[in-house]
Amino acid sequence: MNQSIFENFAPSDSIENAEKLPEMMNDSVCPVDATEELLRECENIWKEMEKCQSKLTLLTAEPVPESDAKVSLLLTRMQALRAEYYQWQKRNPELISTNPEVLLLLGEEELQKLQKELEMVLSAVQSKNEKLKEDLEREQQWHDEQVQALNTFKEMEEEMKKEVVTDSEKRVFQELKNQVSELKEYKKKLLNALGEFLEEHFPLPEKNGNAKKKRFSEEPSEQVITMHEILEILLNQLMSTPHEPYVTADDSFWPPYLELLLRSGIVLRHPEDPNMIRLEAFHE
Amino acid sequence: MAVLRPFDKLPELNSATILLVGAEGGPQQQLAEAMLCEKKDFNINIHLASSLPLPPERDHLRPRIDLIAFVIDIKSKYSLKSVQASLAYVDVRFFLGKVCFLVTGVGRVNNCSVEMNAIWKLGEDYCSPVIFCELELEGIRVATAQRLLRMLQICAGRVPGVSALYFSLLMRNSAGD
Repeated sequence: MNQSIFENFAPSDSIENAEKLPEMMNDSVCPVDATEELLRECENIWKEMEKCQSKLTLLTAEPVPESDAKVSLLLTRMQALRAEYYQWQKRNPELISTNPEVLLLLGEEELQKLQKELEMVLSAVQSKNEKLKEDLEREQQWHDEQVQALNTFKEMEEEMKKEVVTDSEKRVFQELKNQVSELKEYKKKLLNALGEFLEEHFPLPEKNGNAKKKRFSEEPSEQVITMHEILEILLNQLMSTPHEPYVTADDSFWPPYLELLLRSGIVLRHPEDPNMIRLEAFHE
Repeated sequence: MAVLRPFDKLPELNSATILLVGAEGGPQQQLAEAMLCEKKDFNINIHLASSLPLPPERDHLRPRIDLIAFVIDIKSKYSLKSVQASLAYVDVRFFLGKVCFLVTGVGRVNNCSVEMNAIWKLGEDYCSPVIFCELELEGIRVATAQRLLRMLQICAGRVPGVSALYFSLLMRNSAGD
Protein backbone atom coordinates (compact mmCIF):
# COMPACT_ATOMS: atom_id res chain seq x y z
CA MET A 1 0.00 0.00 0.00
CA ASN A 2 2.66 2.42 0.97
CA GLN A 3 4.80 1.61 -2.00
CA SER A 4 2.10 2.91 -4.24
CA ILE A 5 1.85 6.16 -2.37
CA PHE A 6 5.45 6.76 -2.94
CA GLU A 7 5.56 6.04 -6.57
CA ASN A 8 4.07 9.47 -6.64
CA PHE A 9 7.33 10.65 -5.30
CA ALA A 10 9.37 10.30 -8.46
CA PRO A 11 6.87 11.97 -10.78
CA SER A 12 6.47 14.95 -8.48
CA ASP A 13 9.71 16.48 -9.54
CA SER A 14 9.18 15.69 -13.13
CA ILE A 15 6.05 17.75 -12.75
CA GLU A 16 8.38 20.63 -11.92
CA ASN A 17 9.83 20.38 -15.36
CA ALA A 18 6.38 20.01 -16.85
CA GLU A 19 5.45 23.24 -15.11
CA LYS A 20 8.45 25.02 -16.46
CA LEU A 21 7.12 24.29 -19.91
CA PRO A 22 4.58 27.15 -20.04
CA GLU A 23 7.37 29.63 -19.21
CA MET A 24 9.62 28.30 -21.85
CA MET A 25 6.93 28.21 -24.48
CA ASN A 26 6.90 31.99 -24.37
CA ASP A 27 10.51 32.10 -25.30
CA SER A 28 10.69 32.46 -29.07
CA VAL A 29 14.32 31.40 -29.22
CA CYS A 30 13.35 27.83 -28.40
CA PRO A 31 13.18 25.74 -31.59
CA VAL A 32 10.13 23.63 -32.25
CA ASP A 33 11.73 20.26 -31.66
CA ALA A 34 12.75 21.17 -28.13
CA THR A 35 9.20 22.06 -27.17
CA GLU A 36 7.85 18.97 -28.84
CA GLU A 37 10.32 16.86 -26.94
CA LEU A 38 9.30 18.42 -23.66
CA LEU A 39 5.63 18.06 -24.45
CA ARG A 40 6.14 14.39 -25.16
CA GLU A 41 7.97 13.97 -21.86
CA CYS A 42 5.18 15.70 -20.01
CA GLU A 43 2.55 13.49 -21.61
CA ASN A 44 4.41 10.39 -20.52
CA ILE A 45 4.74 11.61 -17.00
CA TRP A 46 1.08 12.52 -16.86
CA LYS A 47 0.10 9.06 -18.02
CA GLU A 48 2.22 7.54 -15.27
CA MET A 49 0.57 9.77 -12.75
CA GLU A 50 -2.89 8.75 -13.86
CA LYS A 51 -1.90 5.12 -13.40
CA CYS A 52 -0.69 5.81 -9.87
CA GLN A 53 -3.79 7.81 -9.11
CA SER A 54 -6.06 4.99 -10.19
CA LYS A 55 -4.21 2.70 -7.77
CA LEU A 56 -4.56 5.27 -5.03
CA THR A 57 -8.28 5.72 -5.43
CA LEU A 58 -8.67 2.07 -4.55
CA LEU A 59 -7.39 2.78 -1.04
CA THR A 60 -10.03 3.26 1.59
CA ALA A 61 -10.01 6.15 3.95
CA GLU A 62 -8.62 5.47 7.41
CA PRO A 63 -9.35 8.05 10.04
CA VAL A 64 -7.08 8.18 13.03
CA PRO A 65 -8.45 6.27 16.03
CA GLU A 66 -9.10 8.41 19.09
CA SER A 67 -7.29 6.17 21.50
CA ASP A 68 -3.66 5.27 20.81
CA ALA A 69 -3.54 7.91 18.11
CA LYS A 70 0.15 8.34 18.64
CA VAL A 71 0.94 4.65 18.41
CA SER A 72 -0.91 4.09 15.16
CA LEU A 73 0.49 7.26 13.69
CA LEU A 74 4.02 6.35 14.63
CA LEU A 75 3.59 2.92 13.06
CA THR A 76 2.31 4.47 9.85
CA ARG A 77 5.19 6.93 9.90
CA MET A 78 7.64 4.15 10.28
CA GLN A 79 6.20 2.29 7.29
CA ALA A 80 6.17 5.46 5.22
CA LEU A 81 9.75 6.31 6.11
CA ARG A 82 10.86 2.84 5.22
CA ALA A 83 9.12 3.04 1.87
CA GLU A 84 10.66 6.42 1.14
CA TYR A 85 14.04 5.11 2.12
CA TYR A 86 13.74 2.24 -0.35
CA GLN A 87 12.64 4.68 -3.04
CA TRP A 88 15.74 6.74 -2.49
CA GLN A 89 17.92 3.67 -2.62
CA LYS A 90 16.43 2.55 -5.91
CA ARG A 91 16.65 5.94 -7.54
CA ASN A 92 19.27 6.86 -10.03
CA PRO A 93 20.03 10.41 -11.01
CA GLU A 94 18.26 11.13 -14.27
CA LEU A 95 19.03 13.65 -16.94
CA ILE A 96 16.57 16.47 -17.25
CA SER A 97 16.98 16.73 -20.96
CA THR A 98 19.81 16.64 -23.50
CA ASN A 99 18.50 19.55 -25.47
CA PRO A 100 20.94 22.45 -25.14
CA GLU A 101 18.36 25.24 -25.25
CA VAL A 102 16.40 23.68 -22.46
CA LEU A 103 19.53 23.24 -20.42
CA LEU A 104 20.61 26.80 -21.09
CA LEU A 105 17.34 28.25 -19.93
CA LEU A 106 17.25 26.06 -16.88
CA GLY A 107 20.82 26.99 -16.05
CA GLU A 108 20.04 30.70 -16.36
CA GLU A 109 17.09 30.37 -14.05
CA GLU A 110 19.07 28.49 -11.45
CA LEU A 111 21.85 31.04 -11.53
CA GLN A 112 19.40 33.88 -11.14
CA LYS A 113 17.81 32.19 -8.15
CA LEU A 114 21.23 31.64 -6.67
CA GLN A 115 22.16 35.26 -7.20
CA LYS A 116 19.02 36.45 -5.46
CA GLU A 117 19.63 34.19 -2.50
CA LEU A 118 23.25 35.28 -2.22
CA GLU A 119 22.22 38.90 -2.32
CA MET A 120 19.80 38.26 0.51
CA VAL A 121 22.51 36.55 2.50
CA LEU A 122 24.87 39.42 1.82
CA SER A 123 22.44 42.06 2.99
CA ALA A 124 21.56 40.04 6.07
CA VAL A 125 25.20 39.60 6.98
CA GLN A 126 25.95 43.26 6.38
CA SER A 127 23.13 44.45 8.58
CA LYS A 128 24.23 42.02 11.25
CA ASN A 129 27.75 43.37 10.99
CA GLU A 130 26.55 46.91 11.43
CA LYS A 131 24.49 45.97 14.42
CA LEU A 132 27.47 44.23 15.95
CA LYS A 133 29.63 47.28 15.33
CA GLU A 134 27.11 49.48 17.06
CA ASP A 135 26.90 47.09 19.96
CA LEU A 136 30.67 47.00 20.19
CA GLU A 137 30.89 50.78 20.26
CA ARG A 138 28.30 51.02 22.93
CA GLU A 139 29.95 48.40 25.05
CA GLN A 140 33.31 50.10 24.56
CA GLN A 141 31.90 53.41 25.73
CA TRP A 142 30.32 51.83 28.73
CA HIS A 143 33.55 50.08 29.53
CA ASP A 144 35.51 53.33 29.35
CA GLU A 145 33.05 55.05 31.63
CA GLN A 146 33.27 52.23 34.11
CA VAL A 147 37.07 52.36 34.07
CA GLN A 148 36.98 56.09 34.68
CA ALA A 149 34.54 55.66 37.52
CA LEU A 150 36.74 52.96 39.00
CA ASN A 151 39.81 55.19 38.84
CA THR A 152 37.99 58.04 40.48
CA PHE A 153 36.81 55.79 43.24
CA LYS A 154 40.33 54.50 43.78
CA GLU A 155 41.70 58.01 44.07
CA MET A 156 39.00 58.97 46.49
CA GLU A 157 39.76 55.92 48.56
CA GLU A 158 43.45 56.84 48.69
CA GLU A 159 42.74 60.37 49.76
CA MET A 160 40.37 59.30 52.41
CA LYS A 161 42.87 56.81 53.77
CA LYS A 162 45.52 59.51 54.07
CA GLU A 163 43.18 61.87 55.74
CA VAL A 164 42.18 59.32 58.27
CA VAL A 165 45.78 58.63 59.27
CA THR A 166 46.97 62.20 59.52
CA ASP A 167 43.77 63.22 61.08
CA SER A 168 44.14 60.85 63.97
CA GLU A 169 47.77 61.84 64.48
CA LYS A 170 46.90 65.49 64.36
CA ARG A 171 44.12 64.97 66.75
CA VAL A 172 46.30 63.28 69.29
CA PHE A 173 48.95 65.93 68.91
CA GLN A 174 46.33 68.59 69.27
CA GLU A 175 44.97 66.96 72.35
CA LEU A 176 48.38 66.73 73.95
CA LYS A 177 49.08 70.35 73.19
CA ASN A 178 45.81 71.30 74.75
CA GLN A 179 46.59 69.32 77.83
CA VAL A 180 50.02 70.85 78.09
CA SER A 181 48.70 74.37 77.79
CA GLU A 182 45.99 73.61 80.28
CA LEU A 183 48.51 72.36 82.74
CA LYS A 184 50.70 75.38 82.18
CA GLU A 185 47.75 77.63 82.85
CA TYR A 186 46.96 75.76 85.99
CA LYS A 187 50.54 75.96 87.14
CA LYS A 188 50.55 79.69 86.53
CA LYS A 189 47.35 80.07 88.46
CA LEU A 190 48.68 78.09 91.36
CA LEU A 191 51.91 80.03 91.44
CA ASN A 192 50.03 83.31 91.32
CA ALA A 193 47.73 82.21 94.09
CA LEU A 194 50.70 81.04 96.13
CA GLY A 195 52.50 84.30 95.55
CA GLU A 196 49.49 86.34 96.62
CA PHE A 197 48.97 84.21 99.71
CA LEU A 198 52.57 84.47 100.68
CA GLU A 199 52.66 88.21 100.08
CA GLU A 200 49.63 88.63 102.24
CA HIS A 201 50.55 86.44 105.19
CA PHE A 202 54.31 86.24 105.09
CA PRO A 203 55.56 89.68 104.19
CA LEU A 204 59.17 90.79 104.45
CA PRO A 205 60.04 91.88 107.90
CA GLU A 206 59.88 95.69 108.09
CA LYS A 207 62.95 97.65 108.73
CA ASN A 208 61.16 99.75 111.33
CA GLY A 209 60.19 96.74 113.41
CA ASN A 210 59.83 96.86 117.22
CA ALA A 211 62.63 96.17 119.64
CA LYS A 212 61.78 92.51 119.97
CA LYS A 213 62.14 91.91 116.31
CA LYS A 214 65.23 94.08 116.24
CA ARG A 215 66.89 91.80 118.66
CA PHE A 216 66.38 88.75 116.41
CA SER A 217 67.42 90.49 113.28
CA GLU A 218 70.98 91.14 114.17
CA GLU A 219 71.94 92.36 110.82
CA PRO A 220 69.02 94.32 109.57
CA SER A 221 71.05 95.88 106.84
CA GLU A 222 71.53 92.50 105.28
CA GLN A 223 69.23 91.59 102.57
CA VAL A 224 66.51 89.17 103.63
CA ILE A 225 64.62 87.36 100.95
CA THR A 226 60.93 86.90 100.91
CA MET A 227 59.18 83.67 101.86
CA HIS A 228 58.29 83.32 98.25
CA GLU A 229 61.91 83.42 97.26
CA ILE A 230 62.92 80.93 99.94
CA LEU A 231 60.32 78.51 98.78
CA GLU A 232 61.32 79.10 95.17
CA ILE A 233 64.98 78.32 95.88
CA LEU A 234 64.07 75.19 97.78
CA LEU A 235 61.59 74.07 95.09
CA ASN A 236 64.02 74.64 92.24
CA GLN A 237 66.75 72.79 94.08
CA LEU A 238 64.46 69.84 94.68
CA MET A 239 63.12 69.74 91.19
CA SER A 240 66.33 70.31 89.26
CA THR A 241 68.58 68.06 91.30
CA PRO A 242 66.46 65.57 93.17
CA HIS A 243 69.57 63.72 94.34
CA GLU A 244 70.92 66.92 95.92
CA PRO A 245 67.89 68.67 97.37
CA TYR A 246 69.85 70.45 100.13
CA VAL A 247 70.29 74.13 100.20
CA THR A 248 72.55 76.06 102.58
CA ALA A 249 70.40 78.09 104.88
CA ASP A 250 72.36 81.32 105.07
CA ASP A 251 71.43 84.49 106.85
CA SER A 252 69.31 85.75 104.02
CA PHE A 253 66.69 83.28 105.14
CA TRP A 254 64.80 85.18 107.84
CA PRO A 255 65.03 82.84 110.89
CA PRO A 256 61.42 83.13 112.10
CA TYR A 257 60.17 81.98 108.70
CA LEU A 258 62.72 79.23 108.68
CA GLU A 259 61.57 78.08 112.08
CA LEU A 260 57.99 78.14 110.88
CA LEU A 261 58.78 76.01 107.86
CA LEU A 262 60.77 73.58 109.96
CA ARG A 263 58.06 73.26 112.56
CA SER A 264 55.30 72.72 110.07
CA GLY A 265 57.30 70.00 108.36
CA ILE A 266 57.55 71.70 104.98
CA VAL A 267 61.30 71.89 105.25
CA LEU A 268 63.73 69.40 106.77
CA ARG A 269 67.21 69.79 108.12
CA HIS A 270 70.05 67.76 106.82
CA PRO A 271 70.66 64.97 109.39
CA GLU A 272 74.37 65.77 109.66
CA ASP A 273 74.60 69.41 108.84
CA PRO A 274 72.22 71.74 110.66
CA ASN A 275 72.69 74.49 108.11
CA MET A 276 71.43 72.45 105.19
CA ILE A 277 67.75 72.30 104.56
CA ARG A 278 65.58 70.75 101.97
CA LEU A 279 61.99 70.82 100.89
CA GLU A 280 59.90 67.90 101.89
CA ALA A 281 59.11 65.79 98.87
CA PHE A 282 55.35 65.86 99.01
CA HIS A 283 55.02 64.50 95.54
CA GLU A 284 56.75 61.19 96.25
CA MET B 1 -16.71 10.89 1.56
CA ALA B 2 -16.49 12.36 4.97
CA VAL B 3 -12.82 11.69 5.66
CA LEU B 4 -10.25 13.79 3.86
CA ARG B 5 -7.71 11.78 1.96
CA PRO B 6 -4.39 13.20 0.79
CA PHE B 7 -4.11 11.69 -2.68
CA ASP B 8 -7.71 11.32 -3.76
CA LYS B 9 -7.41 13.48 -6.87
CA LEU B 10 -4.87 14.38 -9.48
CA PRO B 11 -3.02 17.58 -8.74
CA GLU B 12 -3.65 20.67 -10.75
CA LEU B 13 -0.88 22.15 -12.83
CA ASN B 14 1.28 24.75 -11.17
CA SER B 15 -0.90 25.16 -8.14
CA ALA B 16 -1.21 24.07 -4.53
CA THR B 17 -4.08 24.10 -2.10
CA ILE B 18 -4.14 24.77 1.61
CA LEU B 19 -7.07 24.25 3.91
CA LEU B 20 -7.33 26.43 7.02
CA VAL B 21 -9.56 24.83 9.62
CA GLY B 22 -10.48 26.87 12.65
CA ALA B 23 -13.13 28.98 14.23
CA GLU B 24 -14.28 31.73 11.93
CA GLY B 25 -12.84 35.09 12.51
CA GLY B 26 -10.79 37.93 11.20
CA PRO B 27 -7.36 36.36 11.79
CA GLN B 28 -8.00 33.46 9.42
CA GLN B 29 -9.18 35.78 6.67
CA GLN B 30 -6.25 38.12 7.20
CA LEU B 31 -3.79 35.26 7.15
CA ALA B 32 -5.26 34.05 3.88
CA GLU B 33 -4.90 37.51 2.39
CA ALA B 34 -1.31 37.76 3.62
CA MET B 35 -0.53 34.48 1.95
CA LEU B 36 -2.03 35.66 -1.31
CA CYS B 37 0.07 38.81 -1.18
CA GLU B 38 3.33 36.94 -0.91
CA LYS B 39 5.60 36.61 -3.89
CA LYS B 40 5.40 33.10 -5.30
CA ASP B 41 5.80 31.35 -8.60
CA PHE B 42 2.78 29.10 -8.46
CA ASN B 43 -0.94 29.52 -7.86
CA ILE B 44 -2.36 28.85 -4.47
CA ASN B 45 -5.89 28.07 -3.47
CA ILE B 46 -6.83 28.83 0.08
CA HIS B 47 -9.88 27.12 1.51
CA LEU B 48 -11.31 28.24 4.82
CA ALA B 49 -13.45 26.00 6.98
CA SER B 50 -14.68 26.31 10.52
CA SER B 51 -14.69 22.55 11.10
CA LEU B 52 -14.56 19.21 9.35
CA PRO B 53 -16.18 17.34 7.69
CA LEU B 54 -16.39 19.53 4.62
CA PRO B 55 -19.78 19.69 2.98
CA PRO B 56 -19.99 16.90 0.41
CA GLU B 57 -21.89 18.91 -2.22
CA ARG B 58 -18.83 20.76 -3.45
CA ASP B 59 -16.51 17.78 -3.23
CA HIS B 60 -16.02 17.40 -7.00
CA LEU B 61 -15.16 21.07 -7.39
CA ARG B 62 -12.54 21.05 -4.74
CA PRO B 63 -8.93 20.48 -5.77
CA ARG B 64 -6.60 18.09 -4.04
CA ILE B 65 -5.65 19.42 -0.64
CA ASP B 66 -1.91 19.57 -0.02
CA LEU B 67 -1.72 21.02 3.48
CA ILE B 68 -4.22 21.28 6.34
CA ALA B 69 -3.52 23.95 8.94
CA PHE B 70 -5.63 23.74 12.08
CA VAL B 71 -5.95 27.18 13.65
CA ILE B 72 -6.35 27.15 17.44
CA ASP B 73 -7.12 30.36 19.24
CA ILE B 74 -5.59 30.27 22.69
CA LYS B 75 -8.24 32.57 24.05
CA SER B 76 -11.15 30.20 23.47
CA LYS B 77 -11.49 26.62 24.65
CA TYR B 78 -14.13 26.15 21.99
CA SER B 79 -11.61 26.42 19.16
CA LEU B 80 -9.46 23.68 20.69
CA LYS B 81 -12.51 21.43 21.11
CA SER B 82 -13.73 21.97 17.56
CA VAL B 83 -10.24 21.25 16.19
CA GLN B 84 -10.08 18.04 18.21
CA ALA B 85 -13.46 17.01 16.87
CA SER B 86 -12.39 17.78 13.30
CA LEU B 87 -9.28 15.64 13.63
CA ALA B 88 -11.45 12.55 13.45
CA TYR B 89 -12.30 13.34 9.83
CA VAL B 90 -8.73 13.39 8.58
CA ASP B 91 -7.12 10.34 7.07
CA VAL B 92 -4.05 8.87 8.74
CA ARG B 93 -1.86 9.59 5.74
CA PHE B 94 -2.39 13.28 6.09
CA PHE B 95 -0.45 13.25 9.33
CA LEU B 96 2.71 12.21 7.54
CA GLY B 97 3.73 15.82 7.26
CA LYS B 98 0.71 17.39 5.59
CA VAL B 99 -0.87 18.71 8.76
CA CYS B 100 0.25 21.49 11.01
CA PHE B 101 -1.23 23.23 14.03
CA LEU B 102 -1.26 26.99 14.12
CA VAL B 103 -1.71 28.47 17.58
CA THR B 104 -2.69 32.11 17.59
CA GLY B 105 -3.27 34.66 20.28
CA VAL B 106 -0.04 33.97 22.14
CA GLY B 107 0.57 37.65 22.50
CA ARG B 108 -1.90 37.92 25.36
CA VAL B 109 -0.67 35.51 27.96
CA ASN B 110 -3.10 36.68 30.62
CA ASN B 111 -6.11 35.90 28.42
CA CYS B 112 -5.08 32.29 27.98
CA SER B 113 -7.81 29.82 28.57
CA VAL B 114 -6.21 26.90 26.82
CA GLU B 115 -3.39 25.11 28.58
CA MET B 116 -0.03 24.93 26.85
CA ASN B 117 0.21 21.32 27.92
CA ALA B 118 -2.90 20.42 25.97
CA ILE B 119 -1.46 21.99 22.83
CA TRP B 120 1.93 20.31 23.18
CA LYS B 121 0.16 17.01 23.75
CA LEU B 122 -1.89 17.55 20.62
CA GLY B 123 1.23 18.16 18.60
CA GLU B 124 2.93 15.12 20.11
CA ASP B 125 0.00 12.77 19.67
CA TYR B 126 -0.50 13.65 16.03
CA CYS B 127 3.21 13.95 15.25
CA SER B 128 2.70 17.30 13.60
CA PRO B 129 4.48 20.60 14.00
CA VAL B 130 2.95 23.30 16.18
CA ILE B 131 3.56 26.87 15.09
CA PHE B 132 2.95 29.61 17.61
CA CYS B 133 2.06 33.05 16.28
CA GLU B 134 0.07 36.16 16.98
CA LEU B 135 -2.07 36.74 13.95
CA GLU B 136 -3.26 40.12 15.08
CA LEU B 137 0.18 41.62 14.61
CA GLU B 138 1.01 42.51 11.04
CA GLY B 139 4.66 41.52 11.12
CA ILE B 140 4.07 38.12 12.66
CA ARG B 141 1.16 37.52 10.32
CA VAL B 142 3.36 38.11 7.30
CA ALA B 143 6.09 35.87 8.72
CA THR B 144 3.60 33.09 9.43
CA ALA B 145 2.20 33.42 5.92
CA GLN B 146 5.71 33.00 4.53
CA ARG B 147 6.29 29.91 6.64
CA LEU B 148 3.01 28.36 5.61
CA LEU B 149 3.76 29.12 2.00
CA ARG B 150 7.09 27.34 2.23
CA MET B 151 5.46 24.34 3.90
CA LEU B 152 2.80 24.31 1.21
CA GLN B 153 5.45 24.28 -1.48
CA ILE B 154 7.02 21.25 0.07
CA CYS B 155 3.77 19.44 0.74
CA ALA B 156 2.63 19.96 -2.87
CA GLY B 157 5.84 18.34 -4.07
CA ARG B 158 7.18 21.48 -5.68
CA VAL B 159 10.56 21.28 -3.99
CA PRO B 160 12.59 18.50 -5.57
CA GLY B 161 14.23 16.13 -3.15
CA VAL B 162 12.24 17.14 -0.08
CA SER B 163 9.07 15.25 0.71
CA ALA B 164 6.45 16.30 3.23
CA LEU B 165 7.43 13.45 5.55
CA TYR B 166 11.08 14.38 5.45
CA PHE B 167 10.27 17.98 6.17
CA SER B 168 8.06 17.09 9.11
CA LEU B 169 10.97 15.12 10.55
CA LEU B 170 13.14 18.21 10.32
CA MET B 171 10.48 20.29 12.06
CA ARG B 172 10.20 17.80 14.88
CA ASN B 173 13.90 17.68 15.56
CA SER B 174 14.16 21.42 15.66
CA ALA B 175 11.43 21.62 18.29
CA GLY B 176 13.80 19.90 20.68
CA ASP B 177 12.13 16.52 20.88
